[in-house]
Amino acid sequence: MKKIIALLLCLVLLAVSSLALAESESDKAYVTGKGKIVVGITDFEPMDYKNENGEWIGFDADLARAFAAYLGVEIEFQEIDWDNKVLELTGKNIDCVWNGMSLTDEVKAAMSCSKAYMNNAQVIVAPVAKVADYTTVESLSSLVFAVESGSSGESVVRDLGCQANAVQSQAAALMEVASGTSDAAVIDLLMALAMVGEGTGYENLACGFTLQDDQYGVGFRPGSDLAEELNTFLASAAADGTLKKIADTYGLGLALIAD
Amino acid sequence: MSFADQLPIVLSSLNTGFLQTFRLFVITLAGALPLGLLLAMAEMSHLRGLRAIIKTLVWIVRGSPLMIQLLIIFYFPGLVFKTPLWSSGESGRFAAASVAFIINYACYFCEIFRGGIQGIPVGQDEAGLVLGMKPLQIFFRVKLLQVVKAILPPMSNEIITLIKDTSLARIIALQEIIWAGQSFLKGSQGISGAIWPLFFTGIYYLAATGILTLLFSRAEKKLSYFR
Repeated sequence: MKKIIALLLCLVLLAVSSLALAESESDKAYVTGKGKIVVGITDFEPMDYKNENGEWIGFDADLARAFAAYLGVEIEFQEIDWDNKVLELTGKNIDCVWNGMSLTDEVKAAMSCSKAYMNNAQVIVAPVAKVADYTTVESLSSLVFAVESGSSGESVVRDLGCQANAVQSQAAALMEVASGTSDAAVIDLLMALAMVGEGTGYENLACGFTLQDDQYGVGFRPGSDLAEELNTFLASAAADGTLKKIADTYGLGLALIAD
Repeated sequence: MSFADQLPIVLSSLNTGFLQTFRLFVITLAGALPLGLLLAMAEMSHLRGLRAIIKTLVWIVRGSPLMIQLLIIFYFPGLVFKTPLWSSGESGRFAAASVAFIINYACYFCEIFRGGIQGIPVGQDEAGLVLGMKPLQIFFRVKLLQVVKAILPPMSNEIITLIKDTSLARIIALQEIIWAGQSFLKGSQGISGAIWPLFFTGIYYLAATGILTLLFSRAEKKLSYFR
């Protein structure tokens, strides 16, 4: 019994000391020390998606590569479950969340965020036959909305006082509308433009008007110095035209935040 | 994109996912069967302390959801010790999932083994001892085959459950077949809003459990010669 207690005490001591050691190191030193930055993403066209060769491309993927080169480290993309992004980040399984993330109050509270680099908006998506009826905020009052749980779309709908079905993802919100279990969805404009309308998987759905503007940013561990580092990088990438060039590749030039 | 264009892309993605599902299944069995037997032996030992430890372990593991165990095993090292235990990339997630599944299933197997071993009448032990056999000899030469026969039906139950439980590993973003099917809902490889791949994964599970069911009924037939 004494041995077991001694062993347990040793483990606790080890835990505390490694905790203390890790806390003293800056996040930038941690990432450059291991020579690799792990970027948490989801499959989300046009920000992060795979080309025919299975490589990650997209605006965020290309920009993250440029940032890794700027830091002088290798890059690794890790697909994550979006619901677990904060767990992944604080558990050090990834080093940043960089995937068209709207800078909501919840996100800003849980992570150290970079400044916004791209404009987004929350847009209404409804069946093609009905979308023309929804032109004012008043016309929405009787609708049941599908929204992603914890998204800025959800808070917009709650603020309107409308009924909201919170589902697992923005894609699931679109499926709710397509299957008729909700009247309309509120999702990211950049995603809606890529996923709704002719030639997409949801030809019977269309975008309505935008309800609220928001912006994309990158999330790091709380207290990380990498957020400031990324801001410096973004400023120089904006100055030498790298940012504009990547944005134009994916047809996002107009959404870019200029300064 | 027409269905005919989608089919090869979806199938290759689902095949990759199912390979991961199947690997997790095989590794879990390979680890949990011996570990379960070991735990069963420990649970029947004469040492009261050891018995109590195993009983507590089995209670904790069987009494909490496997999903929580996956989250704890994968995220806790990084959250508590600030150094992630698992390597980055898919291999680290696979290793964490394997450990969680092996521990979880070993605890269920442990109880099945114990039930099978304790179900053999004491008279057989006594008869063996009278004939001058050693306890290990009695276990391997007299009891083991009867145990295997007795535990086959409950084992086939657990093993069929295991192949479906592997889908829980998607909570730590292990890219098994459900993850692969779901990715086309949101959009992946040019296909977005496709609902059918997710439901189509059911065919893979049905095929796998069908084969397992056949194997188990054949094994039961082969072992039915004491009747």
